[in-house]
Amino acid sequence: MSTILLWLLTFSCLLFLPSLTIGIIRKTKARLQNRVGAPLWQHLFDTIKLLRKSETVSENSSWILRVNTVINISIMITLAFLTPWLSFKPATSADDLFLLIYLFAAIRFFAILSSLDPGSAFGAFGASREATLSVLVEPAIILALSAVALSAHTSNLSLVFALTANTPISQAPLWLLAGAGLFLSSLVELSRMPVDDPTTHLELTMVHEAMMLENSGPNLALLEFSSALRLVVLYGLSGQCFLHALHCIWPFASAAGILLSISIIFALAVVTSLIETVSVRLKWTRAPEFVAYGLTMSLLALLVALVTGVSS
Amino acid sequence: MNTCIDLLRAALVLGLSGCGLAVVYGHRFSQTFFSVILLSGSVALFFTALSGWNVDFIWQASLPIYFGVAPLLIRLDRLAALFLGLLGAVTFCAAIFSPGYLKHLEQRLNFSLYWFSLFTFVTSMALVVLAANALTFLVFWETMSLSSAALVAADHTSSAARRSALIYLGATRLATAALAGGFLWFHAHTGSWNFADWHLATAATVIPSILILIGLSIKAGVWPFHIWLPYAHPSAPTPVSALMSGVMIKIALYAIIRLFLFHGETLPAFGITLLTIGLISAFWGVLFALVQHDLKRLLAYHSVENVGIIVIGIGLALYGQSQHLPAVACLGITAALFHCVNHGLFKSLLFFGAGAIDASAHTRDLSHLGGLAKAMPVTMLCFVTGSAAICALPPLNGFASKWLIYQGLFTLACQTHSRLGAGLSCAAVGVLALVGGLAVACFTKAIGVSFLGRPRSHEAEQCSEAAPAMLVAQAILAATCVVLGALAPAFASLLTPLSAAATGSLATGNLITLPLLPLAIILSGGACLIYLFVLGPLRQTPPRVCRTWECGFGQLSPRMQVTATSFAHPIARIFKPVLLYKTVSEISGAHQRHFPERIKADAVMTSLLESKVYLPLIAAVRRLGRQTTRLQAGSIHLYLLYMLIAAVALLIIGAAT
Repeated sequence: MSTILLWLLTFSCLLFLPSLTIGIIRKTKARLQNRVGAPLWQHLFDTIKLLRKSETVSENSSWILRVNTVINISIMITLAFLTPWLSFKPATSADDLFLLIYLFAAIRFFAILSSLDPGSAFGAFGASREATLSVLVEPAIILALSAVALSAHTSNLSLVFALTANTPISQAPLWLLAGAGLFLSSLVELSRMPVDDPTTHLELTMVHEAMMLENSGPNLALLEFSSALRLVVLYGLSGQCFLHALHCIWPFASAAGILLSISIIFALAVVTSLIETVSVRLKWTRAPEFVAYGLTMSLLALLVALVTGVSS
Repeated sequence: MNTCIDLLRAALVLGLSGCGLAVVYGHRFSQTFFSVILLSGSVALFFTALSGWNVDFIWQASLPIYFGVAPLLIRLDRLAALFLGLLGAVTFCAAIFSPGYLKHLEQRLNFSLYWFSLFTFVTSMALVVLAANALTFLVFWETMSLSSAALVAADHTSSAARRSALIYLGATRLATAALAGGFLWFHAHTGSWNFADWHLATAATVIPSILILIGLSIKAGVWPFHIWLPYAHPSAPTPVSALMSGVMIKIALYAIIRLFLFHGETLPAFGITLLTIGLISAFWGVLFALVQHDLKRLLAYHSVENVGIIVIGIGLALYGQSQHLPAVACLGITAALFHCVNHGLFKSLLFFGAGAIDASAHTRDLSHLGGLAKAMPVTMLCFVTGSAAICALPPLNGFASKWLIYQGLFTLACQTHSRLGAGLSCAAVGVLALVGGLAVACFTKAIGVSFLGRPRSHEAEQCSEAAPAMLVAQAILAATCVVLGALAPAFASLLTPLSAAATGSLATGNLITLPLLPLAIILSGGACLIYLFVLGPLRQTPPRVCRTWECGFGQLSPRMQVTATSFAHPIARIFKPVLLYKTVSEISGAHQRHFPERIKADAVMTSLLESKVYLPLIAAVRRLGRQTTRLQAGSIHLYLLYMLIAAVALLIIGAAT
């Protein structure tokens, strides 16, 4: 019975959390800028509206246009079921670290292809930047996750992220560093502020929006939903790291874990909007420097894992 | 056992008769005729491998065939069968591909020579795999090298092909010299030419092992010996490039696996060295592949990356053996063997795709391609499948072998007590992730610039789909990539007896624990459902077709698209120190402020290794050569003096020992 309840809860999180988190980011940002801002659920309304609209397709488009959308959304939903981004998500048998990373890469592969598809320079430069950023970010993500996996001696992430009783307090720095590395990397991966500005459409250095430029109607709705889902999954994953650090210091009950793992996603959303309010987008050539912070955090986490792992 | 020998005999007879017929009737018989012989030979070879999977037989040639000091000795065991099967499969597809492809080369190739060399090449590759002693190996290794050099120069009217053949020949000479040195040393110390009696990479055999390793690495295209590879592979006709990249370099890796992994304990230094070199190869190969704009050259550089990944697997296995970590060794060997097969399949698939484009558009230069999706949809589908597989995207076959490498590295980091091993394996995970990201960038560039967007030249506009037989060859390989990916756990467990034989441990059960088949079904099923219900034909309003958004400035021209160079530019800029990458722009009429006459921008890339290491080395050799010519003064008295000095020196040496 409780498993069914947990599945239902996971499923509703998967459906509503993406829009809500995007809504929180936008609303907080608006309030910080003394604006009223759009309603909290605007993203969901937009998605529903787009699903009902008809679409325009470039005359140069090939079958990649559709293949990208369906592969993107089906992989992302699968990933949402595989990745342990919520502490209460029932475990599955395939949540292997390297599988997850390469499923993310598969999404990116087709996204880049589809933005090269219509032959527009806008989309293509977005694609080129996305490829560059992913080259830099992928090692950071994989190393951060390897660090925590190494300390658990398994690459099965649902075992790595299982909240076990009496974890030693000495593990807290590892989880903190890994969480910081993941969070900084996911800011880049999700094309958020210091690297890319998600709210502009006329910037010459935009990444995510440029890649979506030629999509419209239901196609765009699905892609937008998928990227919002990717945001909560990645935030959830780094949030879980922070929760584990908290669990090392102050063990909490697993019932509290449900509440905490949702609220930490919201907290990270608020942090994102704070970052986006106080900082400006970096010049494109300086983006690698920001990625380096994430990579450094991951490397430090790995170092901690290696030092504690070898001595124990 | 008997069927196996009969099949092998049939394959060899077909190969040799192909050679003979090519010499006599090369000009008169059609390409289809020779392709059918090659096809039947490859089928025989493939079934030899299948029937040879469970037998281990040794066959010695009777007396008239003898190599002076050792007999022709052949051994077919499971490891050889695996590589024979790969050779059979790739040759099979190459034979189907050939007739359609060779049509556009009709004016330029000497078909007598081409088919003769091709049959020799394939036959000698099969015999290298089967060789059980050093002399058999070396003889057929040489035949393989020379016939492939002839094939590289097949299109001999182009000076680029001639130059590539020369570079390739130079590399093969060095490889053979190193191999011969190592083999002679081993013979001197063990008194045997049989591979089964040799123990490489032990403390007593460091130097000859290094010599043999260098010889094999040159052929395999491992960094820093890879420089011949991006010249030779693109110059050859496509079926040959597919065989060279797909199989020939794997045979060198096969020799490394056979000689180093199946003889018990080795020095840990060899494992560490191979691991490091494999990492550098993988990174170097993909980085240079990324900045190429000749499609076949890009693929050739990418072979260096994949060879690097296989070498990482071998290094992992060696290190695991030396540290008594059978789980790591097992993962390493399985990963290396699996990736050999996978790379053979998807790299030949990609070469066929590039060949189909070449045959249809008469250019491989990415800056002249574009928009082929409309004209060549099936080729594109196969090329995308191959690219996804080579980028290790799940659930295709490339992912399975790369996952094994990752697992091997991860297990090593978990289990080892040496900080060096743990640190190195963690670094390797990071570098492999970087390489994975670069591979995605590289292949999205290749697909995006050649197939997507709008045609950049008249040739690309006039393209038409490749001949049906060429499509069949690609489709077979693409389907194999998908099937092997989804059934990877089963295939990996087929390889467990091999890894068990090498590690001396009992079979460790199923290595790939991922449910890849269910994953493939869920992903494709989900994608189909979403297409049907959200995007596809069930919706009432069909999409409106319009021009690509052009900011309201009027029709975009094909030249306003991103080029291969500009796509790769941001990454190339980051790795500037390795690539020696710089952009040069030249503006004429700059004094007219906003209205210059001409702006020319170009990106220049020189290889660090070639310009800083190999060119000075070659220059030094040439200088030395010039100095040595002074000995040859043309005076008979001087030559007599040399002979006298030599005779005296020999006498003294003889007396001293």
